[in-house]
Amino acid sequence: MAKTKYNDPKLEEKLRDRKYYITDSNPEFLKDVERIGRTIAHMCFQCGTCTGSCPSAPRSSYRIRLFMRKAVMGLEDEALTDPDLWLCTTCYSCTDRCPRDIAPTDVIMAMRNLAARRDIIPRNFLKTTQLIYQTGHGVPNNDVNRAARRKLGLTEEPPTTHMYPEYIKGIRKIMDHYGLKERADRILAEGE
Amino acid sequence: MAEVKKNEEPRIGVFVCHCGTNIAGSVNIQEVKDYAASLPNVVVSNDYQYMCSTPGQNMIVEAIKEHNLSGVVVAACSPRLHEPTFRNATKTGGLNPFRFEMANIREQNSWVHMHQPEEATKKAKDAIRIAVAKASLLQDLHPKSVPVEKAAMVVGAGVGGMQAALDLANAGIKTYLVEKTPTIGGRMSQLDKTFPTLDCSQCILTPKMVDVYRNENIELLTYTEVEGVEGYIGNFDVTLRKKARGVLTPDEAEARGIVGGGCNGCGDCVDVCPVIKPNPFELGMAPRKAIYIYHPQVVPLIYTIDFDSCVKCGLCVDACGDKKAIDLEMQDELMTVKVGTVILATGYDIFPIEKKPEWGYKNYDNVITSLEFERLICASGPTGGKLIRPSDGATPKRVGFVLCAGSRDNTGVGRPYCSRFCCMYSLKHAHQIIEKIPGAVPYIFYMDIRSFGKMYEEFYYRIQDEGAKFIRGRVANILEDPETKNLYIKAEDTLLGRPVDVEVDMVVLAAAVQPSAETERTRRLFGVSCSQDGWLLEAHPKLNPCGTTTAGVYLAGVCQGPKDIPDTVAQAEGAASAASIPIHKGAVELEPYFAQCIEEKCAGCGLCVNLCPYQALSLVEKNGRKVMQVTEAKCKGCGTCGGFCPGGAIWMQHFATPQIIAQIDAFLLGGEE
Repeated sequence: MAKTKYNDPKLEEKLRDRKYYITDSNPEFLKDVERIGRTIAHMCFQCGTCTGSCPSAPRSSYRIRLFMRKAVMGLEDEALTDPDLWLCTTCYSCTDRCPRDIAPTDVIMAMRNLAARRDIIPRNFLKTTQLIYQTGHGVPNNDVNRAARRKLGLTEEPPTTHMYPEYIKGIRKIMDHYGLKERADRILAEGE
Repeated sequence: MAEVKKNEEPRIGVFVCHCGTNIAGSVNIQEVKDYAASLPNVVVSNDYQYMCSTPGQNMIVEAIKEHNLSGVVVAACSPRLHEPTFRNATKTGGLNPFRFEMANIREQNSWVHMHQPEEATKKAKDAIRIAVAKASLLQDLHPKSVPVEKAAMVVGAGVGGMQAALDLANAGIKTYLVEKTPTIGGRMSQLDKTFPTLDCSQCILTPKMVDVYRNENIELLTYTEVEGVEGYIGNFDVTLRKKARGVLTPDEAEARGIVGGGCNGCGDCVDVCPVIKPNPFELGMAPRKAIYIYHPQVVPLIYTIDFDSCVKCGLCVDACGDKKAIDLEMQDELMTVKVGTVILATGYDIFPIEKKPEWGYKNYDNVITSLEFERLICASGPTGGKLIRPSDGATPKRVGFVLCAGSRDNTGVGRPYCSRFCCMYSLKHAHQIIEKIPGAVPYIFYMDIRSFGKMYEEFYYRIQDEGAKFIRGRVANILEDPETKNLYIKAEDTLLGRPVDVEVDMVVLAAAVQPSAETERTRRLFGVSCSQDGWLLEAHPKLNPCGTTTAGVYLAGVCQGPKDIPDTVAQAEGAASAASIPIHKGAVELEPYFAQCIEEKCAGCGLCVNLCPYQALSLVEKNGRKVMQVTEAKCKGCGTCGGFCPGGAIWMQHFATPQIIAQIDAFLLGGEE
C-alpha cells in the first residue's frame, strides 16, 4: 500500500508506521547479548518478576522486562538508544528471583557494553569515568564528607586511593588498557 | 533348552526402513542397503518407505519364503516400538519369531546425527553388521506361559485409587486397596468445592467411599503400607505392613472372641483422651486427640491411636467399656497377598513453598497455601467455613492469589513443570470469596491462565464477570506490615508495563505439587521408573499412559504427573482396564530370555544361586550330582549368573555368549572403512 504523503514533518511523524516488522530485528543482537552477558536471555517468558523486583522501576520509566523483550526480538537500535538502559543499579534482585534462571542484570550489562562500542554512553557515566581516572573514586571525597568522618572519629580520607594516591596509577593502567578514559574524553569533547 | 538346528547355513534377510525422512533424511539408504547385501550370510537386502506398514511387513513374509531365510534383520526404529510388529511378520513368514533381530538406526542414529549424514550412514552400517552377526546365530525360542492370579492390588486410596479399585472389583476381580492413612478419600476429601461445576467435593466423594467399603470384591486395607514385593506379572507376592491401629474393628474383635464388640465409631474415647495434637488432615490448623479420626466422614469409621503421642493412660479403654475395641499393646502385623497385577495411585504432596522465601510463607501469618485455603473455606473445616486471617481472625476483604508459586520454576529451587490445576482452583477460590464475603475482591496474579478442560474457559469467563481482578505478572515478593499484618504484593502488571504494589489482607499461594513422600520408596519396591522430576514413568507418554515398563504394574492419577480430578478418574479407569486384561486372559507369555544350565558343564558350585537378584536359581540332585536349576518364571534374564559362572555353564537364551561375542567381533573386526 502506497504511503500517503502529507508534506508536513510533524504529521508524518505522528502518523508514522509503528508496526513491528521481521526486518526490524537483528538476530545477531540476541546472540551478542547472550555471549557477552553469559545468560540465556532467549528463555525469557515475560512474567515480570524482574520489573516487580526492581528498585529502580517504581521511580523511573526503566522496565527491565522490556529490555529482555527487545533482546529476544532483536530490537538492537531501540534497546541501545534507550536512555533507560542506564537506570539499572545492578542490585541483582531480578537475577535472584527470575524463575527461568536468567540474569537480566547481565543482559543489561551486555547491552551497555554494546552501546558503549557505538559511543552511546550518558555524559554522567563518562564524567564518572574521568573521576575514577583522576581520583580512583566515582564519587570522590568532599568537604562535607570529611567533616562527617571527622565527627565520627575517622580519618578525613578513607583508606583507599584517597589515603594512598600512589595506587591511582594501577587503576589508570587498567583503564588505559581498555581505553576507557580516552573514550570518555573523546565523546565528551565531541559533545561540547 | 531351546532347539538348535545343527549344520544349518545361516540365510539372513536385511530390510532397511526409511521411516519417511526420519531415517532417510540423514542415512544414505541405498548405500546401507548395498553394504548389507555384501555382508556374510546375507542373501537378500532390501529397503522400504515404512517397514512397519502392511506392504513392509509383507516384504519380510515373502522374502522368508522366497529365500528360505533363517534369520531376519530390520534396521529401523527402537525395538521398544516395533519389535513385536516385526516378530509377528517373521512368524507369519514361517520362522520362529525369535529369529528376528532389530538394528536401531533411528533413535540411536538418525535422530541424534541429523546433521552428520556421512557419520550416520557409517554408524547404520555398523549397526546392521552387528545385527546380522547376531541373527546368524539366533535360535528358535518359545515363550513361557504362566497363569495369572485372579486378584489385583491398588496402592493409594485417593479418588484415583478408589475408582481403579471399584472398576476392577465390578469387573469381578478381587482387589486389595492399600492406603497408608487411616481413611480412604485422599486429597479430594480435603477440598471444599471442585471446579468448574462447584460440586461439594465431599458430597460427590463420600458415595464412592461408601461404594468402596461395601464392595464385596474389595478388601480395604487402611493404615497399611507396602513392605516388600516379589514376583512378576501374574504372580506378585506383596508383603504389607498393617500398622498397629490400637483399635479393633468389629470383625477383628469377633475373631478375638469379643462378641458384639469392636469400634462402632461412637467417639467416647476421644472425650476422655488427654493428649492433644495437630490434625494433619486439617494441615495442623485444628486439634485432634491421640485417639482420633481425621473427619466425621472417614471410611472405615474406626478410630486410630497415634502411638507416638499416646501416653497409655488407659482412660479410653475404660470409656470404650464392653466393646473392648481398644488394645494399647497392639503391634504392627505383616501379611502377604498374591496378586496378578498392581495399580499405583500414590498421589501428591504440596511443594514446601517456604523454600521460596520471597513470598513469606511460614514467615508472615496471613500467607497461606491453597490447600490451607480449602480447609478454611470448607464448612467442615476448622473454622466451620468462615474464611479468617490467621493473624487476628478478621475476615479478609482483599485476597491476593499467587499463581505458579513454585511451579514453572527453573532455578532448581521450585519445580520446572506446570502443576496443571492451580489456575482452575484459584479461579474457584476467587469465586468462593466473592460468594461468601460481601464486597471482597480477589486479586489474581498470573502468568497465563491455563483453562484447558471442558467448561474451564467458560468458568474463567464467569469468574472475571463476577469481579475478580486479574493482574498479568508473576509476584516478585511480598512484604508484611508488622502492625496491621497486611501484606504488600509487589509485581509488575506486564500489560500496563507498570510495577504494582497491592495491599491485601491475605495471600493464598497456589503452591506447586510434587510426588507424595512415599512415592519413591513404593516405586522402587515395584521396580517402576520415574522421570527426572520424580513422577512415575508411563510406558509411553501418548500410547501407553497407564502402563509402566514393569509388566503388570500400572499407574493412576497424579503419581504419574499433575492432573485434575476428571483426568485422574479417567486414567484410573484406563489403568483398571489395562490391569484387568492379564487377569481376564488368565495367562501371560513371558519372553523366553531365561538362563539355562548346561548340565554337563555345571560343577554344582552354587555361586550363581546367591548372586541371583530374583531367587530364580537353586541346586538340585540330578544323576547323582548337584547341578543348578532355573525357575524360568522367576528369571528375568538379567545375565548376572551367566556373566559370573566360572565354568561357562550358563546359557543366556537370546543373549548367549557366542551371540554376543559375534556382535563384538562384527563391530571390532568387521568394518571395512
